[in-house]
Parts: sequence; structure tokens; C-alpha cells
Amino acid sequence: MKATFPTDHARQVGRVLVADDSAVNRKLLVQLLSRLGLQSIEVEDGAAALAVLRAEGPAGIDVVLLDVVMPGLDGYETLAAIKDDETLRDLPVIMVSGVDELDSVVRCIEMGATDYLSKPLNPQILGARINASLAAKRLRDLDKEYLERQTALTATIERQREELSRFLSPQVAALVSSPEGEQLLAGHRRQITAVFCDLRGFTAFAETAEPEELFGVLRDYHEAMGALIVEHGGTLEHFAGDGIMIFFNDPVLQPDHVERAVRMAVAMRERFADLAVRWRKLGYELAFGVGIAVGYATLGRIGFDGRFDYGAIGNAVILASRLSSEAKGGQILLSQRAYAAVEEIVEATSVGELALKGFSRPVPAVDVIALRNAAGVALT
Amino acid sequence: MSTDDATTLDTTVLAALLDSVGGDAVFVADLVETYLADGTDQLAEIDAAVRSGDAEALVRPAHTLKSSSRTVGANHLGELGRQIEMLGRSGSTTGADALAAAARAEFSDIEAALRAWLSGGATT
Repeated sequence: MKATFPTDHARQVGRVLVADDSAVNRKLLVQLLSRLGLQSIEVEDGAAALAVLRAEGPAGIDVVLLDVVMPGLDGYETLAAIKDDETLRDLPVIMVSGVDELDSVVRCIEMGATDYLSKPLNPQILGARINASLAAKRLRDLDKEYLERQTALTATIERQREELSRFLSPQVAALVSSPEGEQLLAGHRRQITAVFCDLRGFTAFAETAEPEELFGVLRDYHEAMGALIVEHGGTLEHFAGDGIMIFFNDPVLQPDHVERAVRMAVAMRERFADLAVRWRKLGYELAFGVGIAVGYATLGRIGFDGRFDYGAIGNAVILASRLSSEAKGGQILLSQRAYAAVEEIVEATSVGELALKGFSRPVPAVDVIALRNAAGVALT
Repeated sequence: MSTDDATTLDTTVLAALLDSVGGDAVFVADLVETYLADGTDQLAEIDAAVRSGDAEALVRPAHTLKSSSRTVGANHLGELGRQIEMLGRSGSTTGADALAAAARAEFSDIEAALRAWLSGGATT
């Protein structure tokens, strides 16, 4: 015999909860649903329906077929309880009513029922309504899933940015995830203030010290200097042992970049003095020197796939590095241009013209003695 | 027996039912057996409620009997079930014994009619 029911294209995978007090009606519904390719769970009243829904959770059931009039907890009360439950609220509920109960269907739709079916059941209409509800639920589930994935993605990006900011200076970490980041990373020219600093006596110390001592000193030194770099808004290009290179005015523009660099260097020297007191007691003879220069540089991503740094290349960088090498313990050497920019706020003394490697002519430089306050009085 | 009464069993409902399950006569026969077994129980519950004068206890079996009867085309029995249910909901058992007796008589007619329908080669 030819089946009158819609063919396979209408078949769906889904689980339907059938609540009806009549075993005959339940049996028929389960059979009709099974012909639609749907699994059913049958219960004989509203209380049992709620128990199944709560046990299965919102993911366990796709559609509820609820008889309007049932002894015990009836269709209304069950529907109300489903709509009251945060986790079950979105579940499609199709009310099934007898011919003399059609009035109540209006109330159920107003209460949030998705649709209704009247008895005797027409399998085509049953199929169509179930399919519509399943499609709506699938869409809603997809929406929910998309939202969850989106939230998870945002959390991942946030976590990566946080993690990244431990490895990169905060400015560079922010740059990587900013809209103009790609352009800046690709390379650009800008005037910067470059700062080099390192420890005098570190090589000799490293040769004789135990590794634990060496790392202890470096840890204290990096921690102290790192805090001051962040405080002054410097971009840390790299740490290399005791050497630290920092630049200002990139990637974030800083109109007062030279001043920031000098203030940072002075703060570092003070901080270093505190550390040195303790180190001297332990027999470590270390001193701190800084070189600062201003000039144009090319900035951006430097390196190769697998390892890139955000770096600066230019004369100012080389000059700062050479001045740092030239500085004696406690000296902060400024290039002429750097000094010109901060003359007002700095008490400095000339160290004459220095013959620096890679520079054909002698380079004049000054040593920063102290910062001046607003009144022009040197601060010690 | 009044199987000659066309309104007792609406065989067009049964035919539609059979059609809706793709002509699965075995399933329909099984459904009818379920109906007859449950109907017997529901009638017994109605009798017990009538005997004890418990109006509220009439509601559940009468409602279910009404609902199931309509599904298999036992429309008159469905109507009797509805009346008993309404009576129970109104909190009264007055007249319930007469309705229950009518329902029992109708049920035995329906049982005979259903069996006749099944054995009459309903699927042919």
C-alpha cells in the first residue's frame, strides 16, 4: 500500500516530548512522529513532562507536544512552568487540543505556545508544524551557538592580548591588535628618542658569579627598570642581558619624548643606586650608564617568520648605543640634539667631544647631573 | 447490540487513522486493543467513583475515555465521556450512575463494532 505521508525530504532528526493522558493518543502520536523520522518520549501528564524536560535539559528535547486538557497538571500550567524556566523558555511547545477546547488554544498562544494542533490529528499538518518548530529551534540554537562562539573568541583574543602584553611592551601589544597596526608594523619613518642603558662591570660579574646570583641580579634589575619604562611610557625594544634598549614617540606619539626619556633615565639612575647599595654589600661591583640620542629611524616589524621584533633602525639608535658604551658608571650621556630639547629642565655638564665607533667626526655630548624643577633649581 | 447504528462507530475516522499511518493495519489493531483495555479500566474507575460519590474522581477517567474514544471514532462514547467529565468538574455525581451505565453499554457495542471492523478486512 502506498504511504500517504510526505516522503523522505520531510524527515527530520529530533526528539519530541509527547504529553497526553490518553495512552491511545500517545501511541498514535508516537507512531506518526516515528513516520516523520522523529524520536518521542511519552508522558501522561504535565508534571511528568516537566520532570523529563528538567532531566533532559534544553538540548535533550526539540519540541513539546502538549495536550491542553490533562488531569493533574494541565497544559496551561505546564506551559506556564516551561515559560517560567530560564533554560526551557525557548523550547517550542505545540498545544494539542480536542474540538471542544479550541477556545483555550488562543490563551495558550498568548502564553507563548508556538503553535497548535487539533484532534483528530492530520499527519500532514502535524508534520508541517513540527518541521516549522524544529527549523525555528535549530535557528535559535545556531544563534545561541554563534553567540557562545563569539563570546569565547572575544575571551580568547582578550587573553592573547593579555598574554602578548607580557612579552611585548604594552604599546606594541596594543598596536598588534589595533586597526592601523598592520600599516605601522609594515614599517614607517619617525623621529624618536632612543635610550640605551647597561651595567658596567657586568661581564666580569657574570664570569665569576654563580648562575643563581646572576639571575637574581638581573631579575631585580629588570623588574626595577621595567617598572620605570612603563611609568614613563617608553617602548621597550629589547632586553639583552644587562643591556636595555627603549625608544619614545613610537608607536604612540609623544610630543615630549626627549623629556620623557631623560626623566626616565634619571629615575633609573636613582633606582639603580638603591639596588647597588645592597649589591655592594654582597660584593657585586656594578654601575649603571645610559646613552640618549634623538633622530629619525625606521620602525616596524624586524625579523623572520617565527620570530619578529618591533624594532627601530637608524642613526639615533646607533648613537644612543655608542653613548651608552662610552658612559662611565652613573653617567647619562645626551647627544647634542637631545640636550637641546631638554636644556630647560636639565642640569648638565659637557663631557667634550667623543670619538665614537662608526662616526667619522667626534660627537659632542653632555652628562645629566640632575633635573631642574619649575623654578630652575637643580633637584638632587 | 446496535452495531447497525451508524453513529456508534464512525468508521471514516478509523479509515483516516489507518491512512495516516500509511495503512499499517497491525499498528491500528494494536491501537484498538490498547483502547479497549484502557477503556475497560476507565469505566471501572468511573463506576468506583460513582459508587463512592467522589465527583472529582470522575474527571480523569472520563476525560481520558472521551479523548481516546474520539480518536478511534467512538463519537457517542466520547460524548458520554464528556458529560461525565463535566459532571465531575461541577462537583456532582447526580445522574452519574445513569451516564456510567450508558457508557458501559455503549462501550460493549463499540468493542463489538471495532472487532467487526478489524476482522472485516479493514485494510482491503
